[in-house]
This record gives sequence, C-alpha cells and structure tokens, in this order.
Amino acid sequence: MMPVSSRPQDSADRIYFTLVALIGGALMIYFALVPVFGLNVAFHFYLMLWITMASAFNVSSGFSGYLPFGYVAFYGIGAFTTAILVKKAAFPVFLALPFSGVAGLVLALLFAPTLRLSGIYFGIVSLALAGICRLVITNMPEEITGGSFGLQLGSRAHPVQSFYVMMAVMVVALATILWLSRSRLGKALRATRDDADAAEMMGINVPRVRLYGWMIAAFFPAVCGGVEAWYTNVVDTETAFNTLITAKTVIYAVAGGLGTVTGPIIGAVAMVWLDELIWRQFPLLNLLILGVATVALVLFLPRGIVGSILRRKPQWRRYVP
Amino acid sequence: MSIAIETRGLTKRFGGLVALDGVDLQAAAGETLGIIGVNGAGKTTLMNCICGLYRPDGGDVFISGERVTGQPPHVVAHKGIGRTFQVPRVFRKMSLIDNLLVPVLDHRASDAELTERAEGMLARMQLIDLRHNYAEELSGGQQKLLEMARMLMPDPPIVMLDEPFAGVHPVLCKFMIERIEEMSGAGKAVLLISHDLTSIYRLSTRVVALNQGKVIAEGGVDDIRGNPAVIEAYLGT
Amino acid sequence: MELLILNGIVNGLIVGGIYALVGVSLTLLYGVLRVVNFAHGEFVIAGSFFAYVLFTSLNVPPLLALPVAAISFFAAGWGLYYVLIPRLSRSDDPELMSFLMFYGVSITAAALMLLLFEADSRSIDYSFTPISIQVGPIYVSTARLVALAITAVISAGLALFLFRTLPGKALRAAIMNPEAIQIVGVDIVRLSAFAFALATALAGVTGVLVALVFPAFNAFSGTEYTIIAFIVVVLGGLGNPVGALVAGVLFGLAEQMATVFLPQALAQIVGFAILVGTIFLRPSGLFGTSTKK
Repeated sequence: MMPVSSRPQDSADRIYFTLVALIGGALMIYFALVPVFGLNVAFHFYLMLWITMASAFNVSSGFSGYLPFGYVAFYGIGAFTTAILVKKAAFPVFLALPFSGVAGLVLALLFAPTLRLSGIYFGIVSLALAGICRLVITNMPEEITGGSFGLQLGSRAHPVQSFYVMMAVMVVALATILWLSRSRLGKALRATRDDADAAEMMGINVPRVRLYGWMIAAFFPAVCGGVEAWYTNVVDTETAFNTLITAKTVIYAVAGGLGTVTGPIIGAVAMVWLDELIWRQFPLLNLLILGVATVALVLFLPRGIVGSILRRKPQWRRYVP
Repeated sequence: MSIAIETRGLTKRFGGLVALDGVDLQAAAGETLGIIGVNGAGKTTLMNCICGLYRPDGGDVFISGERVTGQPPHVVAHKGIGRTFQVPRVFRKMSLIDNLLVPVLDHRASDAELTERAEGMLARMQLIDLRHNYAEELSGGQQKLLEMARMLMPDPPIVMLDEPFAGVHPVLCKFMIERIEEMSGAGKAVLLISHDLTSIYRLSTRVVALNQGKVIAEGGVDDIRGNPAVIEAYLGT
Repeated sequence: MELLILNGIVNGLIVGGIYALVGVSLTLLYGVLRVVNFAHGEFVIAGSFFAYVLFTSLNVPPLLALPVAAISFFAAGWGLYYVLIPRLSRSDDPELMSFLMFYGVSITAAALMLLLFEADSRSIDYSFTPISIQVGPIYVSTARLVALAITAVISAGLALFLFRTLPGKALRAAIMNPEAIQIVGVDIVRLSAFAFALATALAGVTGVLVALVFPAFNAFSGTEYTIIAFIVVVLGGLGNPVGALVAGVLFGLAEQMATVFLPQALAQIVGFAILVGTIFLRPSGLFGTSTKK
C-alpha cells in the first residue's frame, strides 16, 4: 500500500510496520470477534464510530491545522442522506451508505471557501455553518426529512450487519490516514499547517492540498452518520446535529494526541471506556465529567497521551505510526 | 551571459506607502547580485513580489525570459526560484528530512532517491546527525542552514537569500559564505539581500542600492562603495 | 404594518441592548486576553439562574439581584481566571487552545446547571406595576423598558470607564498593544484578571436582564447566547468594545425585523448568515479599517 523504503538497513521502517501490523491486527481480530463471543455490541459499535470520527478529525486539525467546531455537520448530513434514501427512495442500505459519503464530500466542497480563514475565525464560521445546516434540514418539508419527529428506517435494522459495516468503515479510515501520514500529500499538508506562505513559496499548491485534506476529513464522519442511522434505525435533527458529537470527537482526538495515527485511536479507546464506566456509575454526571475532562486535558495534557510520550522520547517519533 | 531573473518597473504600494517604485534589476546565471538598503528600503518587499507572495501594482517579473507577474507563489517556485527568509520559516513540527522533501514533493523521483538527496544536503550543511529531529528543536543559526538546504533541494537556477547573516555568529557566517560561493560557482543566479555591507561587498559581483523603494545606485562593488547617494542613504538624514 | 415595524424597532432596541452587553464583555475578554470564551453564553444563563434562585428562595426582586450578581460574578471570574488562564498561556497555541478549553468550560457549566435545575425551562414570575406602558401607539412591557434603561446605563457607564478612568484606559491600551503596556509598568496579569472578572460580571448582570426580557431560559440556552456574542463581536470587530455595543444593537434590530418580515425558520438563519458573511466580506468588522485576516 505504501512505498516501502528500498534501503533494507532502515530498521526504523521495519519497527514502524511491525507496530502497524501488530496494533492493526489486534484491533481487527478483537472487533471481529465481539459479536461472535457475545460481547457488548452497542458499546463496541460506538467505540469504532468514535475511533473513526476522531481519526478523521485528526486529518483536519492534526495534519491541516484547522479546528472545525461544526464538524457534526458532516455527520448529520450523512445520517439524513442514508435515512432519506432508504426511507423515501427505497434504496437498499448498502447502496445508500456510499451516497452519505458523497454528501459529505459535496458539503466539504460547499464549505471549501472557509479554508481561506484561519484560527478562531475558521472555528466560529464552521460552528455557524453547522447551525445553518441543522436549521435548513429542520425546516425542509416534513415529507422529506420527517420534521421534528425525524425518520424511522423501519424494519431494516440489523445490529450485527451494521456492526461489521462500521468495522469496515473504521478499517478503511485508519488505512487512509496511515497512508496519508507517510504520503507526499501528508507532508504537503503538514508543511501548510506549519507555515502556509512558506509552503506555497516552496512550490506547494496550498489551496488544493488543503481541499484534499478537508475532503478526507469530511468523508468519514458522513459515512459514520449513515451507518449510525442504520444501526439505531432513527434519525432526527436534534441528535444528528447535536453539538456534543463535535465535542466528543474533538475531545477524544485531543486526548490521544493530534498529528499521529495512533493518537486518536488511543484517545477514543481511553475516553469511551472511561465514559462508559462513569456513565454506569453516575449517569447524571456524564456531561459534567466530559466538560471537566476537556478543561483538564487542555491544561495538563495539551499534546494528548501519545503526543506527550513522544515529546519525552523524540527518538520514538520514527517508530510510532 | 543569459539573464536568469529580471524585474522591470516593479511597483508595490501599501495604502499610501510606496514600498517599491519602478525597480529594474537583472541577474545573470552565475552572478551574485547584492541588494542593499536600510531598513524599510523595500528589500524584502522586492523579494516577496518576485516570488509571487505579493502581487505588484505595476511592472513585471521575468524568470529565464518568461513573464511570471501575478502568478501564485507555487507556480513561480516551479519556474526555478528558491528563497530563504529574514527570520527562518522552517516547518516546525516536521523532521529535518521532511522539511527538505517539501519543495520536491511533486518531483518524479522515488521517495528513496529524494531521501538520499536530502541526507546528502543535510550532510553538506552539517545537520545530518539531527535529521530526525523536529525543525523547532534547532538553534536559530541551524534553522538558517536548514532553510538553505531546503532551498537547494530542487536545484533551482535562481536563489534569493534574505539577510542570511543576521544574528549569526562569525564561524557560521564564514561557513554560509562558502556555501553561497558554491551556489554561484554552480551557475546559479544569487540575489543576496543584506543591510550588512561587508558580506555583500565580499560576495557580490554587482550591487543594487535601494532607498525608499527606488534604485538609487547600481554597479560594481567599487562603484557602490564610493557612491555619494549610497553613503547619504546610509549615513544621511 | 407600521405598528409591526414600530414594534420591531422597539423590541430590536431592547433585545439589541442585551446583545450589546453580551458582545461587549466577550470582546473585552478577547481583546485583553486573546482567549475565545466559548462558555460566555453559559455565564449569561448562570446569571439568569442566579436571579431566579434569589427571587424564588429569598424573594429578592430582579432589580436588587443586579448588584448582587455583579459582585458575585466579579469574584467568581477573578477566581476562575487564576484557575484557568495562567496554565493555558503556556501551551503551544494559546488562542486556539483557549477555544477548546472554554468549550469544556461551557459543557461543564451547562452540565452543572442541568444537575441543579434539571432540563425544564424556568422563568421569573415577577412583574412590575403597571405591567406595560404605552409608547406612542404600542404597548411595551414595563420589564422590557426597565431592562432597556439598565442596558443603556451600563453601556454608558462602561464607555465612561473605558475612556475616562485610568484602569479603563489601561484596558484599552492592553487591547491595542499588550507588549508595550508591560514595558510601561502595568501588571498585565492583574489587569487580565480584572478584565476576566469584569467580563464575567457583565455576563452575570446580562443574565439577570435576560431573565427579565425573555420569557424563559434553561440549562442549554447558553449556546444561543454564545453564538449571538460571536456574531456581535465579529460584526463589531474582534476586541473593539464600542464596535460591539453598536453591533449588538444593530443585530438586535436586524433580528427583530427579520422576525417581522421573514418566516420564523428563515429568521433564525439570518444571524448565522450575518456571521459568515461578515467574516468573509469584512473580517475586521463593520467599523474596522485594517483588512488583516
């Protein structure tokens, strides 16, 4: 998949790919066996969903340097695309899901002019655009989006099938990001993130590179939205455009550490697990702890779990995906 | 002698301030053109206009005879021009190797070939032991060397150096002067910006003096050294 | 029709006054500290709940709650500053990280209010006598007119403070040039703490007024006010307090007029559209002169 270095003496690459194979293999085997051994399908479904969301978000913020506070827009559009196609156009689910991805890409293209902005301006505009998306869908005719009741997908729910589809989406997302992190596009994105003007004077077509990164970051949440709509069998604007979806995505990605492939995976696993643990014990405190955890992360672990380790051990950077 | 880079009547205004006022200059392959002037004379603006970061309000830029005025910086870069910055602008959170790969990302050579070339370049700049470090971990002087290496990666026929010796200690200065001599020796047109006359006089084949956006003198080192307009611009009011 | 428009203008001024206060406190905060307070709306709603509690449990009328809220929120803001900001400024990109951190503060604050007051909408069952006053051909509720008067007094007081007093001038100087002000011997940490406390106090006071003017509020209303604050701040130019005051009133008028002329769904989008449009067309705000990004 990726260009393996032609110099066999480069042992760093060998360690790197061994780690990729080990972590990736362990993740895949573990998740594949969840339904077989009757483990908690719902918990693991959402774990995979958050791993995918946080990893895709990482392309936007870790690789490209944008903080889209309206990230949920892509997820919501994806959820409604699948729901509308299945419910109103009688598409089979498997045919509808790719269209969710396409919807995400189209939305990314529509939002592409915002990439001219930087820093907080980008964040604020992104937030506003997500608000506009929610209002537009809420106010579409009831025959299409189901109004405030939302859409029921009817008898198409199939938890185990959707579980494995979610797993496939996660694997594709992680493979894409792994490729990106070593690809020339990934280097161009990072250079643009660090200093866009300098990158452009070094011959990087900055607007194009940013657009590619942005589209990758938009595609996966849109598909996630579609799969989740299928899994829960119901879609409405309140849940599909809930700002907490953005919040969780951001927090999980930051907790693990932006800019590395493993960061968001580790962040999502740690935080989803913690979330579940707390939710079981103190269901009411869930939101509070999410908030406090975010503040604590920014103050005490701004580089995330993986980022902090790599700061202590810079020589590990070459080995850690 | 073929003209590598030329500007004709280059003009740039910022609001009411005229930063560049009809600047004409040329540099041939293998020539080092020194550009001097006090702070605010328009040296860096000139460079930014040449490489496309600023769109000039008037005049034209030609690279190897081709008009590139108004083209975006990445297109201008591919015409064969590289540069460094007054305050180093390295890609902070990327390894030195990756920093060097950025200008050659769309070259057809394989990753392994390019990496090998980058390592060779880092060795020449005495940075090879740090090749896996992040650029932000380098000292200021080392960052200047890294920029120079990055600029040279695509082997551009024209290079522009913006105050390469500012804030650099004498030993490193000497090292950099040798590298710049190598560049012109290899047939590159070198545009060297500095307000420090000593190094300019040593390296340049020709010198252009800017003041308030205008060329006030042009010629060989000896002509400039005694030129009353230059002396006045430096010492006068 | 004229009555509707007149109604729109009066309500626009009243609502706009509140928006102006929400915006001016956020812009002060950004101007001095370069932090983006995502939780500003929650601070406002906390002020509303503050008035609610004072009224329902101690029978303190909202007008009396105003100074109490101002003092309590000022103290809370002062404390919060020292918990949050000094550590934040040590991170790689404080401006962007502040956005993220206050996102967390916003969730925390909303969650706390949810725990204390549950998800139901609350309102303060307090009315002035007479309940409404005739203004020309229309009737306006006394509570709203009182709120308008108070916002006008606070805005004027704030303007006087910023332009006529020494600490106010120091604040404005800090907005314009944070480095220079340290050189001339101002303790920037104390000044920042003061700005944070002042902004929080203003948010709390605004919250009391929100409880007077708007029919109801709940633990999740904060986000709306945060968005409104962003709109006002961007419209007025980031870090420009006078701009925010004017922009707040303008936006209030625009919003109320939109509800007169547009269907409700579209009227809601107007605010977002203004925000996005301003950032693209006039990133320095309506009154800005520089066009730096």
